[in-house]
Amino acid sequence: MPIRVNPRLIEELDFFGAEDVQYCYHCGDCSANCPHADEVFRFPRKWMRTLQMGLERKLETALEPWLCYYCGQCSEQCPREADPGETMMSLRRWLISRYDFTGIARLFYTSKASEILAIVITGLLTGIGFLWYGLHFGNIHIYDGPGAFLPSSFIHTFDLTLGSVLLVILLINAFRMWRLTLYNERSVPIPWWLYIKRIFLLPWHFFTQKRYAECESKRSTKIFMPWIIHLSLMLGYVIMLVLVMAFIEQLQLGPEIFWPVHVFGYAATIGLVIGTIYFIRSRVFKQNQVQYKKSHSTDWVFVVLLFIIVLTGILQHLFHRTGLLEVANIIYIVHLMAVVPWLLRMPFSKWAHLVYRPLAMYFASILRDAIKIQEKKESPVPSPALG
Amino acid sequence: MRIGVYFCQVESGKILNIDAIAKYSANLPGVELVRMLGIKPKLIPLTLCKELKDNRIQRVIIAGDMPGYYKPVFTKAMAMAGYNPHEVRLASFREHGATAQDSNDRAKAIVACATHGVPFALAAIPKETPVHHSTLIIGGGIAGIQAALEIADAGKQVYLLERTGTIGGHMAMFDKTFPTLDCSACILTPKMVSVGQHDMIDLMTRSELESVSGSPGAYHVKIRKRARYVDIDACVACDICSGVCPVKVPSEFDAELSMRKAIYIPFPQAVPNAYLIDPDTCTYIQTQGEKCGVCAKKCPKECINLNEKDEIVEVEVGNIVLATGYDVLDAKKMEQYGYGIFPNVFTALEFERMTNASGSTGGKIVTKTKVQNKKTKEDEWILLPDGNPPKSVAIIHCVGSRNKKYNAYCSRVCCMYSLKFAHLVREKIPNVKCYEFYIDMRAFGKGYEEFAERIKSEGTFVVRGRTATVEMRGDQMIVNGEDIILDKVIEFPVDMVVLAIGLIPAPGTQELSTLLGLTRDSDGWFSELDYNGSPTDTERGGIFVAGMCQAPKDIPDTVAQASAVAAGVLKSITSGKGIGHRSSLSLSEIEQRAQLIHTE
Repeated sequence: MPIRVNPRLIEELDFFGAEDVQYCYHCGDCSANCPHADEVFRFPRKWMRTLQMGLERKLETALEPWLCYYCGQCSEQCPREADPGETMMSLRRWLISRYDFTGIARLFYTSKASEILAIVITGLLTGIGFLWYGLHFGNIHIYDGPGAFLPSSFIHTFDLTLGSVLLVILLINAFRMWRLTLYNERSVPIPWWLYIKRIFLLPWHFFTQKRYAECESKRSTKIFMPWIIHLSLMLGYVIMLVLVMAFIEQLQLGPEIFWPVHVFGYAATIGLVIGTIYFIRSRVFKQNQVQYKKSHSTDWVFVVLLFIIVLTGILQHLFHRTGLLEVANIIYIVHLMAVVPWLLRMPFSKWAHLVYRPLAMYFASILRDAIKIQEKKESPVPSPALG
Repeated sequence: MRIGVYFCQVESGKILNIDAIAKYSANLPGVELVRMLGIKPKLIPLTLCKELKDNRIQRVIIAGDMPGYYKPVFTKAMAMAGYNPHEVRLASFREHGATAQDSNDRAKAIVACATHGVPFALAAIPKETPVHHSTLIIGGGIAGIQAALEIADAGKQVYLLERTGTIGGHMAMFDKTFPTLDCSACILTPKMVSVGQHDMIDLMTRSELESVSGSPGAYHVKIRKRARYVDIDACVACDICSGVCPVKVPSEFDAELSMRKAIYIPFPQAVPNAYLIDPDTCTYIQTQGEKCGVCAKKCPKECINLNEKDEIVEVEVGNIVLATGYDVLDAKKMEQYGYGIFPNVFTALEFERMTNASGSTGGKIVTKTKVQNKKTKEDEWILLPDGNPPKSVAIIHCVGSRNKKYNAYCSRVCCMYSLKFAHLVREKIPNVKCYEFYIDMRAFGKGYEEFAERIKSEGTFVVRGRTATVEMRGDQMIVNGEDIILDKVIEFPVDMVVLAIGLIPAPGTQELSTLLGLTRDSDGWFSELDYNGSPTDTERGGIFVAGMCQAPKDIPDTVAQASAVAAGVLKSITSGKGIGHRSSLSLSEIEQRAQLIHTE
């Protein structure tokens, strides 16, 4: 099949953050340094090449960008300062926009103005909507229970509706990812039972992010901090999401602390606070780690909005407990004004990462097994070693 | 004629005061319009055309660092406006050398010449000066030797300055030359001997430039001749002094692979063939005569004077030739290759000495042997002639070259000498596996590509993809890399690693450039006057560059450039007219000349 080349692809990737791809002269330092590059999945150099050549179709079907956790060792040693790590990150952003059928991801990643505008508009609309609802149907002096300013049952319905819409979008995109990477790209036949055999990898990678820790396997002085922080942020985030989606009514109870639910809330909050502060600090001071030197506008949007959400979440909880119910209600509105645009952003950024990454690892191991099976079928004798 | 001057820069014009130049150009005769367009302006022919029409501009001057970049737009605009499109003239600051801090006047003169429609080079020919017949050559490597011999053979006096105790430079350290695999010493040694015996060459070893005054054609040079402590004429190189000397230090000539004494001869064929004392390590000199001094007592010719002092020599020369050569990058900076950590990682120079028949292993390629130091009781790795030959050797290209963190430039010789190493390894050790890890194979010279093909056909594994790291797994050294053509990430177990290390300007290049008032390029090499037109001249009249000190180059190119320098020197001597500094003309003089040429 002839390969169609998109010579403008490298320029397009500029918007997603890969600015220095053209400097790469293919010495292979990055791939040799990468702790995750193996026999089947080799990166980042190969994908720098693909990008330079503009092989859009090939890039679309790539799983490799998702196998990278951006430890930055490739960029640290790159003799051309072509920043392969950032390129892989940008490819992930680009892939998200490719999987996304709505086109929103692409719009947000390529246009800073439209992203900020969308956030401001949805934020304001949310604020006005809830304020209107609260003033009409509720009482600003009541935080929970009957006649509350923003009754938790209402918020619950709202959350579930919004969440399921987003989830549907995400699932459709995940399906599109499967179709692009495994279904369309059938270099080897994939037996159906491999999908079942390897299914355990999905929760395993989702909850442990083991590969992030494996990033340090080649480094002499191992830096586990980003992994721990990333994991705690992610776990805190997932717990909070579950609490908000399923247990919002219990979460809003008060002023007494309802320990069976709130203990999870506190644990999640600690993870979120540590995570956001760590990442904001890293990005502001651009610490000696390569991965924080360049920040795409969407990275900033994520951490800054998350910080506002966490802060207002903590504040309304505190004010609710201390009896300043009016203040708590107003902060609640502010909280929602940040939450809704942030949630709308999620299927195209961090949820996407949360879903696509374990999926990619799952797909990758399926593909690896399929290739092994195929090789066994074709040549029972192992191929001769090099040299 | 109504003239419009447009200033537009490609890079930031911080070096020159563009505002002052623009103000000056507004007062030039005929200039009606001066426009500042800034850095990298986006020019639209239609708007330019309108502006030209409105001001009835008949001639456009584009002034800037690289004005040719914008010429097509202006030509188009002139044609659209119905004027003569050939009347677009360039005032290029970079081309005519207005790139230094204090070249505002030069830039003004460039614009002035352009407004007169006179080529700058024509109006600004430097004044000619009478030339003294003797020449000073700084650096006694192959470039210095070649230039010295050519000039001296023409019957002109040469002063050859060398910092170390012998001439020969790096070439004397090599075993073979690429691509012909000729014996390096067989080419160099006769030349060295000729230099030593030549009537017209005054060889000054252990000497450095102290100061330079005067003008092109008549430089007054002060040279510091450091004490050698041994009388060159009397010494017969009998080696008794070295035998009794108690101080042992690593030999610079042997790339620190073997040891020498504090009184030593760098190598048996050294010119002048006499011993010298290293004052930094000699016990007698370090203790100011309190201890040792045994060599002076034992010398049968009584030619050692341990109390010799430095002397200052003053000479008058017409031309100065720079041939200061290069140094290699410190491989310890690149930790990933394990140089200085693992015993069997060598730099190219070390390997060159190891494979040289006069080296410490007698030309055998062996891995280092673990030996217990008797004094410190610690294990150390040293090279012994009866060491184990390696079963596999990895040669890594581009170490520190083409790397934005170290040298952004290509060192130009590494690919070829690495191929030569592969040949030597396979020639000297039977059944050895030899890997070359390269990024791009730069075999550009006459016979080079054929040489590369020959090495490949001999059975060396030439792997595209430079290795990322060298690590130790147990007793086995592992080279990690990516084979880009096979598209595989691979690990090679090897016994020896040779790093094709990048080249940097010789130590002291910076001091020399300030002493002589020369500019250096961004990588530290001496700047030539014009890369294509006059690659051996510098902007200072009567000062020439030859060999590596201008830019990395191989031996054939170095010799060629040295001969070209000799031709330039001899031209100035025989014609009696040297070319002065480029800055010898003042702004008003150039203006007058331009006016004169214009009216003629």
